[in-house]
Amino acid sequence: MKIRVKAFARFREILGSDLAVEVPDGATMAAVLAALRDRAGDESGAIFDEAGALRTHVILMRNGKRVKRDDSDALADGDEVALFPPVAGG
Amino acid sequence: MPSRTGMRSPSSRRSRVDEGVKAMIGITRDVIDAGAMIEAAKRPGMGALVTFCGVVRDDGGVERMELEVYEEVAIRELEAIRDEAMREYPIESVDIVHRVGTLSVGETILLIVVGAGHRKEAFAACEYIIDRLKQTVPIWKKEFYRDGERWVPGEYAD
Repeated sequence: MKIRVKAFARFREILGSDLAVEVPDGATMAAVLAALRDRAGDESGAIFDEAGALRTHVILMRNGKRVKRDDSDALADGDEVALFPPVAGG
Repeated sequence: MPSRTGMRSPSSRRSRVDEGVKAMIGITRDVIDAGAMIEAAKRPGMGALVTFCGVVRDDGGVERMELEVYEEVAIRELEAIRDEAMREYPIESVDIVHRVGTLSVGETILLIVVGAGHRKEAFAACEYIIDRLKQTVPIWKKEFYRDGERWVPGEYAD
């Protein structure tokens, strides 16, 4: 199934702005994050720590709602995952 | 030249006017017209309109700034902040318009207009709104200098 991914600010520069990740049916957030880590390659250190986990300040959303990085719910085809650094508007 | 955005200008992208609350919440790529927004916010029962105007600052050689937004979520967060402020303070209206895109030093990034019967609650509500906005609304800024660029660090909020 296809998961749409939106990345913003520094993470957009690393991952691209609008991308899609292909994961097996029933996959969870972990599968999407693993695909993004691969995609980020040499620059993954801005988003993931040495152990491959999302850095603590990274904000993760599923369909516009904040979720935990270890969210164990199965994703659905067409879901939108967003990840971004702390916000800096105003 | 970009067009001007105010309460009376329907050209602002994705801005909304809510009947009843009579407040405008928006993300725009156009110049924000503070005077027009203040005039449009006025209602007969208001004795005070407090505004917060955020501006691009020349911070050690900044030449311009680029702002980006997760628009659907930003609009929702701005509406939630407006609703919280209307609930928590005895005020009559809240308008918030945030600009994104490329801005030069001196340009308005953000305008908040709070209308109330009296000034004290309007000042308090306006401060509450800008503090919440900086914590929760998904907008980011990149500063460009003559010889470099940097993302403005955000606030860490749970």
